[in-house]
Amino acid sequence: MGRIGIIGVGHTKFGKRSDASLRELAFEAYSSALDDADMDSSKIDGSVVCSATHYDKQRSPAGVVAEYLGLNPQPTFNVEAACASSAVGLRTAWALVSSKLHDVMAVVGVQKMTELSSEEIQELMGRAGDVMWESPFGTTMPAYYAMYATAHMAKYGTTEEQMALVTVKNRKYGSKNPNAMFQKPITAEEVLKSRPVSAPLKLFDCCANADGAACLIIANAEKAKKLTDRPVWVAGLGLASSPMSLAGRKGPLTSFDVTKNAAKAAYQMAGVAPSDIDVAEIHDSFSITEILNYEDLGFAKPGSGTRLLERGETELGGKIPVNIDGGLISKGHPVGATGASQLFALTKQLRGEAGSTQVDGAQIGLAQNIGGIGMYSAVTILKA
Amino acid sequence: MGFEKFGRFGYVSQTKINPLLSYLEKGQIAATRCKKCGRSYFPPRADCLDCRHSAIEWVVLDGKSNLISFTNVFFAPPAFQPETPYLLGLAELTNGLRVFAPISPAVDKDQLKPGLELSLKVAKGSGDNVYYTLE
Repeated sequence: MGRIGIIGVGHTKFGKRSDASLRELAFEAYSSALDDADMDSSKIDGSVVCSATHYDKQRSPAGVVAEYLGLNPQPTFNVEAACASSAVGLRTAWALVSSKLHDVMAVVGVQKMTELSSEEIQELMGRAGDVMWESPFGTTMPAYYAMYATAHMAKYGTTEEQMALVTVKNRKYGSKNPNAMFQKPITAEEVLKSRPVSAPLKLFDCCANADGAACLIIANAEKAKKLTDRPVWVAGLGLASSPMSLAGRKGPLTSFDVTKNAAKAAYQMAGVAPSDIDVAEIHDSFSITEILNYEDLGFAKPGSGTRLLERGETELGGKIPVNIDGGLISKGHPVGATGASQLFALTKQLRGEAGSTQVDGAQIGLAQNIGGIGMYSAVTILKA
Repeated sequence: MGFEKFGRFGYVSQTKINPLLSYLEKGQIAATRCKKCGRSYFPPRADCLDCRHSAIEWVVLDGKSNLISFTNVFFAPPAFQPETPYLLGLAELTNGLRVFAPISPAVDKDQLKPGLELSLKVAKGSGDNVYYTLE
């Protein structure tokens, strides 16, 4: 099986983008990825458009996105895996290029969320869980993660103060990312005093809905070497599923089996261990999620994720810098674009182009992207 | 009327497990059990995962349960916002199956912690909605 390389990456400004439609956001990311790869559209032989389509006004958005990008008549289609859509989009495109059905593909993650009224957003949010057995009780996305937080606090003594450290760390790095929605640092006190959303989670424990797009252009090894002198290689792809219903899951709700399973597959495929990872982008939809992910990815033992934070080991200069592009907590979370945004950041790191947040000598990067309330989790390992 | 009567605000109207509503209306909570292999399901399922048999029987539960986790919801979907804050919980039943349910406002939230013994009881919502709560 030949290697697949990422040869170009693009990223829009995330946030409230009242200046741009879905297709225009997709174009910004796609066009900057072409510029980054120093190529034009003529070599792209297919596109994978990744979005959680229930947020889009446009039904089946791959249709208009491919048209607006000038990617007709090449194949195009949507990939949807909630918040993990574009990580799964990369997996899909990887398989299509590996099979030699395609040579060079564009993976376009895009989401337009802020033009929905807050009523519409809340209504959609209300159906994020199992719509037959859990949504009828008034569940929300934060409520599910809050229940994991409650369980982790009870079992391991994790505190709200420790959870706030995730937001403080990520917002610090968000202030250095011009694409981030929030570019101001925040104090632990501000996090702790923010209004309750679903206890123990408060407003600043949560990422925000946003508009934005990110794009990856991938190619087989032969084309990648011909088209660029700095490809970043897809070394490991792990994807797993878990019961969508909370009642269908096992264990004490202090970890996500879905992430452990995805991580195992990705580490095995890449032939690396957690200690080999130089830089990571992990899903911080909520502060507690980042702590659980440290443990589920093997960066910390169960219950000790908070110690990584307290010792600064996931800061720039620490043992394993995590979310030093600001994470979802700073960038905002345009659902379909988030996975590609993580891989954009890793690609820049592995090329040594991350500027003031560059991890010295980064050679192996890991991205982890949870879909929805934890029914999907994708772990992607890239190598320079 | 169909299954949209289930819960505080139901979304799904059509399903094979409608008989649950009749049990709830009688004040009982029932699980399903596969007639072929005997595996039990809660929430009820119409189809057995193990043998793919779809002949099921209903078994009334005693409602005894242990709390696994919970949250207090302040920011809610539109249909639920007027009732905020409200408690949601996940609990394990005596047969090892799990239930996701609201926690009754009668429960003192300061007493809540994983492992707490609670009882799953039938509750009535607005209109003719029926469901179950942990109390």
